[in-house]
Amino acid sequence: MTPQDACRLPRTQKVYLLSANTELRDTLVGLWDHNHLEVIHFDRGRGAIEVLFNELPDLLIVDHDLPDMAGLDVVNLVKSENVYRQLPVILAIREETLLSKADWCGAEVDDLIIIPSTPARLKARIFLTITRASRAFDANPLSKLPGNTSIIQRIQEMIDRQEDFALAYADLDYFKSFNDKYGFSRGDEVLMMSARIIVNTIRGFTGVRSFVGHVGGDDFVFILPPDKVELACQRIVENFDSIVPHFYDEEDRAKGYIQSTDREGNMRTFPLMAISIAVVLNIGGRLKHYGEASQIAMTLKKKAKENPKSSYVLDQRLSS
Amino acid sequence: MSEDLKLERKDQILAVKDLPTLPKVLDEVSRLVKDPDSSTEQMAKLIAMDQVLSAKVLKMVNSPIYGFPGRISSIHHALVLLGFNVLRGVIVSTSVMDIMNQNMVGLWEHSVGCALASSTIARHVGLKDVEDVSVAGLLHDLGKVVTAIQLPDLKTGVEAMVKARDMTYLDAEKALMGFGHDRVNAWIADHWKLPPSIKEGMSYHHKPQLARLYPEAACCVHLGDFMVRVFEYGSGGDDNVLYLEPDALKKLKLKPADLETILDQLSEQFLEIADLSFV
Repeated sequence: MTPQDACRLPRTQKVYLLSANTELRDTLVGLWDHNHLEVIHFDRGRGAIEVLFNELPDLLIVDHDLPDMAGLDVVNLVKSENVYRQLPVILAIREETLLSKADWCGAEVDDLIIIPSTPARLKARIFLTITRASRAFDANPLSKLPGNTSIIQRIQEMIDRQEDFALAYADLDYFKSFNDKYGFSRGDEVLMMSARIIVNTIRGFTGVRSFVGHVGGDDFVFILPPDKVELACQRIVENFDSIVPHFYDEEDRAKGYIQSTDREGNMRTFPLMAISIAVVLNIGGRLKHYGEASQIAMTLKKKAKENPKSSYVLDQRLSS
Repeated sequence: MSEDLKLERKDQILAVKDLPTLPKVLDEVSRLVKDPDSSTEQMAKLIAMDQVLSAKVLKMVNSPIYGFPGRISSIHHALVLLGFNVLRGVIVSTSVMDIMNQNMVGLWEHSVGCALASSTIARHVGLKDVEDVSVAGLLHDLGKVVTAIQLPDLKTGVEAMVKARDMTYLDAEKALMGFGHDRVNAWIADHWKLPPSIKEGMSYHHKPQLARLYPEAACCVHLGDFMVRVFEYGSGGDDNVLYLEPDALKKLKLKPADLETILDQLSEQFLEIADLSFV
């Protein structure tokens, strides 16, 4: 037994290998016994993508030179989705290719292996990548969207650069009563749904700098250029209102309200959930600090919340 | 038929990986995905024309990866939640085979027609989730396609039997396999975690009176299947007009006069979609 085998992986790791290189495949398959590492092999990129989207592996190894598409395209397709982001990806590349292509800025790979490589090197690299990926990073554990540290960092960065932006805080009305009545796992479903709606609506604005973060619970944040934000709010509200009824039981949905206990423990009726969005605009370097932005947002949010239906409020104080 | 053999065939059928899809729809969807001005509504309309893409999109959005299995039954909602990136992934990975067109002539038209008829009925009787019914109508014969791909020999046998004895496709399936495409639909719906409303519409379209949770959806698809056959639009694999379950009409509170109104509406809509050729 080699020393490396002394540190064991917690369970069998499923590895997808996308490569037409049979030598690489054979080496990999022989590295660990089947109980530690299960290698599932695909010759081509296209066939693998659908399997990948439906059944996530623990690690993805992609050959830079796939027969049917560029390896990096496969990686970027997978990594551009928040639900697949946590999947660690290793790119297998030849030394010659590495020398000729030096643009790594846009490549969302977690590590490289140079092929051909020795089994020992391969083994160490793979082991490290898998364990590194399991360590916590600043992402909401539920939605996998960036969490507080990244959010604050991003906002402060934009403030410091005096960049114009619209910062929106979104949260759900009557989420707590839904959670209380149906239980937290159904509450989580609603949060996942909300995250998807926000992410896809914001992504729909192509060619602009944007950002979506998950503060926690039912609080989300997104950033867009000021001229795009109102349309984004409208779309989010519209999509949220049409989808959220499907998360209620049939009879509650038909009634249009639920019965649950309020904070004082009294039985009360609550409307179906709605989304409230407060938008702070930073134009012409008005804001100096992240804290100002969040303070303005909280005041606006109270205004948005006065409306029991889904609504958004834009920061109007610019005109003054 | 022994239970073992049934189980074995169920496994074979559920091993399905690549369902065929229609190349033209695929091109058009790819074009819309690339166009930043296109809306999810436009895209949903197009995807709803193709039972394979529809099934894939619903399967994906209802998979545990997204965290709300079994909740989403509308294509439009599915697209909002999946986003264009995933849709692009679905399209890139969908291998373009026209097995359905080669092997089951007319089934695509029959399916689109049934979706149209079922949703028209659902709207007429005032059901809330018209789109669920439409999807169930579109997918109501998916079991035939899946069986044809996974068990091609059986499919040949079924077709021969339909021709030789002038049977319905369903009866021939039952005679040869021990179960029909309605049962296959139920397996697929469970396997893909489709919402119960779609599952019941798909799997009880021949016996809507047995649907427990969403009998109205099943009745609409049942009647839709009947009507599209009356119009002889496309083909469900045999030339028979189905037995119309009287309970279905009763359940939907439809009178003969209502049926006439619906048939009139449909004849106009059929003319419209007849111009749309994707093949």
